[in-house]
Amino acid sequence: MEGKINQGAGKNEFGEALIRFFKEVKSNKYLYILAIPGILFLVVFAYVPLVGHALAFEDFKLSTGLFHSKFVGFENFKFFFGGRDWLVVTKNTLVLNGLFLGIGLSFALLLAVFINEMKNVPLKKVSQSFIFLPYFISWQVIAIMIYALLNSSTGFISQMFITLGLKPISWYSRPDMWPGILTFANIFKYAGYNSIIFLATIAGISEELYESARIDGASRFQQVRHVTLPLLRPIFIIMLLMGIGRIFYGDFGMIYGIVADNGVLFPTTDVIDTYSYRALRQVGNLSMSSAVVLYQSVMGLITIIVFNWIVRRIEPDVRLF
Amino acid sequence: MRRPRGVGEVVFFALVYIVVILFALVCLFPFYLILINSFVDNKILNQDGYQLYIKKLSFDSYKFLFQGTQAYTSYRVTLIVTALGSVLATVITSTYAFVLSHRKAKYRHIMSFFTYVPMVMGTGLVGFYLLVAQWLHLKDTIWALIFPYLLNPFLVFVLVNFFRALPYELYESAAIDGANDIYVFFRIVLPISIPGIATVILFYALTYWNDWWLAILFINHDYLHPLQMMIRSLMSQINATQYVMGRSMYIQSVPSEGLKLATVCITIGPIVFLYPLIQRYFVKGLTLGAVKG
Repeated sequence: MEGKINQGAGKNEFGEALIRFFKEVKSNKYLYILAIPGILFLVVFAYVPLVGHALAFEDFKLSTGLFHSKFVGFENFKFFFGGRDWLVVTKNTLVLNGLFLGIGLSFALLLAVFINEMKNVPLKKVSQSFIFLPYFISWQVIAIMIYALLNSSTGFISQMFITLGLKPISWYSRPDMWPGILTFANIFKYAGYNSIIFLATIAGISEELYESARIDGASRFQQVRHVTLPLLRPIFIIMLLMGIGRIFYGDFGMIYGIVADNGVLFPTTDVIDTYSYRALRQVGNLSMSSAVVLYQSVMGLITIIVFNWIVRRIEPDVRLF
Repeated sequence: MRRPRGVGEVVFFALVYIVVILFALVCLFPFYLILINSFVDNKILNQDGYQLYIKKLSFDSYKFLFQGTQAYTSYRVTLIVTALGSVLATVITSTYAFVLSHRKAKYRHIMSFFTYVPMVMGTGLVGFYLLVAQWLHLKDTIWALIFPYLLNPFLVFVLVNFFRALPYELYESAAIDGANDIYVFFRIVLPISIPGIATVILFYALTYWNDWWLAILFINHDYLHPLQMMIRSLMSQINATQYVMGRSMYIQSVPSEGLKLATVCITIGPIVFLYPLIQRYFVKGLTLGAVKG
C-alpha cells in the first residue's frame, strides 16, 4: 500500500480513509513529527498565499481586507487587458526568457563540451572557477558592474569608445540594446551554473564509446560530434522544455536589480513580474497587481503542464519525485 | 598512439582553449574593475572614469564607509540573517527530506508532489505580500528576511536523493535496538550526512547573503537594511552622506562613486574569499540535484 490517497467515493469510504490516515500517522508518528516544520512552512508560505489571487476579483482595500472588499468580477482584468501594457510586458517576458533560454542554454552546452575537451588540467580548473564565480554574486552587485561598464560619464566601455575615437553609445537611454545586454548578463551569471549540469552528464558517458569511435578513425572533433553531442541531446531538451514551462515567469531579481525604475527602458525590459511589483509597491493598487499575477499564474500553469507532459513523452526515464 | 593531427583538429582545439579562456577572463574582468577602482581617488574616478589601473591611490571610499554606522549595521543584519536563516532552514529541510526519503512513510509521494508544485509555480506576489506584511505582521522585522526562504524544494530533493542512497539496514538495525525515528535521524543519519548537509547549508547561506528581494518588499528602516539593500540605496539615494554616516553631517567631499564600489567589495569580499573552499560543495549539490534517472 504505497501512499495512495483514497478518493473517498462514498460516505463510508471517507470514514475508512480517515481511519487509515490516523493509523498511518500513529504507526509512524515520529517520522511525521519530524516533518511537521516542513509541512507547516509549506502550508503557510506556499499554499496560503494562493488565496491572494482572490484579490483579482475585488476592489481591494486594506481597511476592509480580503473577505469584505467589494466584489467586482472581471473589472480589474478589463482594465489590464484594455490597455497596451499587458501586451508589452507579456512580449518582454516571453522574448527575454526565450533569449536567455535559447542563447544561454546553448552557450552553456558549448562551454561544457569545450571545457571537457581541455587537456591542460590546471588551466581547465582555473577557467571553470572563474566561469562559475559570477553565480555567487547578487544581481544588485552585477547591476553595479554593468553600470561601471556602460554608464555614459565614467563607464569603462564608454571610455574605450572615446579612446578609439568613436561616439559613445548612451546605453541607459537606448531600450533597443537591452535585450542583448540582459542576455549577456544572464550568460555571465548562469553559464557556469548550467554548464555544470551538462558536464555531469558528459562525465557519465562511457569511455568505450569514444574508444570505438577512435578505432573507427574518428578525430577528436568527430568524436565530439558523434558521441558527446548526441548523448547530451536528452538533457538539453529536458532543460529547454522545463525552461519553456517557466517562460511566463520573469527574473524579477535580475531585471528590477539592473533596470530598476528607469522608465525609458521599460518598453523592452519590463516583464510581468516587475510590472505587478510596481502595481503592488509603488502604485499601491493591490487588486491590479493581483489580476496581473493571476494572469501570469494561469498562463504559467498551462505552459508548465503542457511542457512537462511533453518532457515525459520524449524522455520517459526522467523521474522528478 | 598518436595519430597525425589534421589541420581541422588543431583549429578545433585552438578554438576550445580560446573560447573557454576568453570567457573565463570576461567573467573575471568585472570583479577586477570593481576592486581596482574602489581604491582610486574619487575625483579621478569621476573625471576619467573606470580605468584598468590605479591612477591615484586613495582609501577615502573605505575610510568614509567605515566612519559611518550604516556599514556596520548592514553587515550585522546580513550576518545574523545568513547565520540564523541557513541553520534554521537546514534543520527544517533535512528533517523534511528525511521523511520524504523514508520507505516507511506512506504519504511521502503525496508530500513530494505538494512540495514539487510550488517549485515550478509561483505562489503569487500579492498573497505572499499580504501574508508576511499584514497577516503575520512581520513588516520591518528581521523575521521577514528569514522566514520566506526556510524551505527550498530543490534542496529538499537534493537531500532526498542523498538520503535514499543510505542503506536501509541502518534503520532496521536501529529499530531493533529500540530507537525511534527522531533518534535515528539526529544520532545516526545526520552524523553520516555531513557532506550533503554542508552543501545545503551553503546553498541557503548564499541565498540569504545575496537577498534583497525580501528587504525591498518588507523593510523600510535603515537599521534593518542588509548589505545588498545598502548597495541599492547607494545607487538611488542622493543623500549618501546621511545614509552612510547614520546622521546628518557636513563633509567636505563625499566619495560617492567610490563608496558604491567599496560597499560592493565588502559585500562580495567574504564570498570571493571563501569561494575556493566552498566551490566544490555547490558543484556536488548541483550534480546531485540535477542528474536524475
